[in-house]
Amino acid sequence: MRISGLVGASALTFVLTSGAFAQEASLDLVEPIAEYKIYVSEKLAKLVEDTTAFTDAVKAGEVDKAKELFAPTRLSYEAIEPIAELFSDLDASIDSRADDYEKAEADPEFPGFHRIEYGLWEKNSTEGLAPVADKLLSDVKELEGRIASLTFPPEKVVGGAAVLMEEVAATKISGEEDRYSHTDLWDFRGNFDGARKIVDLVRPLIADKEADFLKTVDANFETVDTTLAKYKDGEGYVTYDKLTDDDRKVLAAAVNTLAEDLSTLRGKLGLD
Amino acid sequence: MSSSDPQRAGGPPSRLTTIALIGAGVLALAGGGAFYLASQRAVRPSEPGTIAVRVGDKSCEPMDLTVPAGRSVFEIENASNRPIEWEILDGVMVVEERENIAPGFRSQLAARLKPGVYDITCGLLSNPRGKLTVTASAHSEAEKVKPPLKAFIGPLSEYKVYRALRSNRMIQAVGALSTAIDAGDMDAAKSAYAAARTVYRHVEAVSGRIADLENAIDPVATYLAGREQDPAFTGFHRIEFGLWHEGSVTGLKPVADKLEADATTLRDRLKAVKFEPVDLAGNAAREARRLAEGPVISGDNLYANDELVEFAAAVDGLEKPVSLLVPLLAEASPEMAKATTDAFAAVRAELGKLSGSDAAPVIYSDVSPDARKALAADLVALADAIDRINPALGLE
Repeated sequence: MRISGLVGASALTFVLTSGAFAQEASLDLVEPIAEYKIYVSEKLAKLVEDTTAFTDAVKAGEVDKAKELFAPTRLSYEAIEPIAELFSDLDASIDSRADDYEKAEADPEFPGFHRIEYGLWEKNSTEGLAPVADKLLSDVKELEGRIASLTFPPEKVVGGAAVLMEEVAATKISGEEDRYSHTDLWDFRGNFDGARKIVDLVRPLIADKEADFLKTVDANFETVDTTLAKYKDGEGYVTYDKLTDDDRKVLAAAVNTLAEDLSTLRGKLGLD
Repeated sequence: MSSSDPQRAGGPPSRLTTIALIGAGVLALAGGGAFYLASQRAVRPSEPGTIAVRVGDKSCEPMDLTVPAGRSVFEIENASNRPIEWEILDGVMVVEERENIAPGFRSQLAARLKPGVYDITCGLLSNPRGKLTVTASAHSEAEKVKPPLKAFIGPLSEYKVYRALRSNRMIQAVGALSTAIDAGDMDAAKSAYAAARTVYRHVEAVSGRIADLENAIDPVATYLAGREQDPAFTGFHRIEFGLWHEGSVTGLKPVADKLEADATTLRDRLKAVKFEPVDLAGNAAREARRLAEGPVISGDNLYANDELVEFAAAVDGLEKPVSLLVPLLAEASPEMAKATTDAFAAVRAELGKLSGSDAAPVIYSDVSPDARKALAADLVALADAIDRINPALGLE
């Protein structure tokens, strides 16, 4: 049995408040949504810059350098995933997993970050990766262009905080996402940062009415921070297999609670 | 959508509905095969009217679904042998999705859908997609001609981002202008001036209404008692006067420095401007009329004579807020949406006709009074078209 599947299935919990109590969305949301787009734009500029360096290394056959750049490059992508994955075609070409393809890793259609990750770690080689690298860079640039002209749907922004935590719960806690490189803790960092940014942006709108809620959410973010900090290695993190079972449990509990709590954020802001 | 949605309002008032709880309440962890009891919750029984979708190895069952507009709850069963992601797609855009549904598991997804035809994914990326048709309801029809307030949050946010990015670029361009003036580089100064004016025109519909700053940044000599010699003759046109009329940077450095400081103030003031939904179209229409009555007839750039380039930038600046309303307008009145787009195209065509070629651009002093009137008339027609937007969206 696939353990990862079990995790994903059980961790996804959504609570919606009923319409009768949901408040009306207010124009106070304009400010945080605009700020969020600027945040996303900055992350995308960084993603394009980092992906350029990463794909250059892949194309130059520099396996070690490419391995070093893989996780930090993904950091920006993971932070803005709720918006990045709105474009299904680019999400598939940039970040899909081998499971999405008939012949898994052997499938010639298997693209993007994880195809390169597979080559670098499993084959310790950049052989055949040059076209994949070119495509990845052009997809990332295309993503930047599309997002620049996208009017951000407020419910996707606010709902994004929960989406990020669900992502972690569904595909990250299991170590499934970066299954060849085991750099999952970097992705965690990106997902948490992205979720926290959203909470911080809407915080002024709910600070008075939802003080207890925010306190709980902040405490769980703190738990995640403290736990991740133990595994810090230079600018980044050690490989995922170094995580102790106890810490994995602590992270899983915090992530599940965050996913559940943050799924109520849309309702609290009248966006359900 | 809004809390007045009849499908929601009828529900029990204090209901906390857990809708997408799936499978076991046991959270399995990969580490050493340890199982960890993270969250134990009862599976909520299906809501009445839940739509079942079974995803097999090769396709969905059914492949063709029809639901009414509004809230629908789908229950997706993964009957394939791999974890799947289930998505509702509008073109390439994901409307709603559920990730990582394990083989043999079910997952619920609530979506609030507008009328239209959507794709649904069915497992592997190479599998054919199913079709989801959402039919109009009385409520969805009513929302077309009176979208809820929250439909305007996205457009207002996007316009705020636009103002922020433009005014940042203006600060950069004015900085480059100041540097070029300092270096006595006339060519660089002229091109930096043009770049700064372009972004200034993009936001002028808003900035033009901040009177004190406008008088510092953009006064024209015509309206000053001492004309070009008036001490209040400052800002952009003072620099234009120096670069084009006097052909020198002498005395321009303090003017450029002041303009740079004012550009920073402008960014902060623009950031603080709070727009209501009516302002998106309202402001653009007002600016189109202002251009038609003043600058187009009498000219703004008396020394550089490059009004045609700046008017084109101004039209881009008018179109930004209006374009953000066009998707809503297209639902309320497709004809009106087309009329608006056509009115922009007509102004651009008229500008194109007057502008000459890149190699031989026409200067504005060579544009005849009749030609100016024709351009003004197109701008008034544009303002009229924009003025029809707010009533069509139930905003007045």
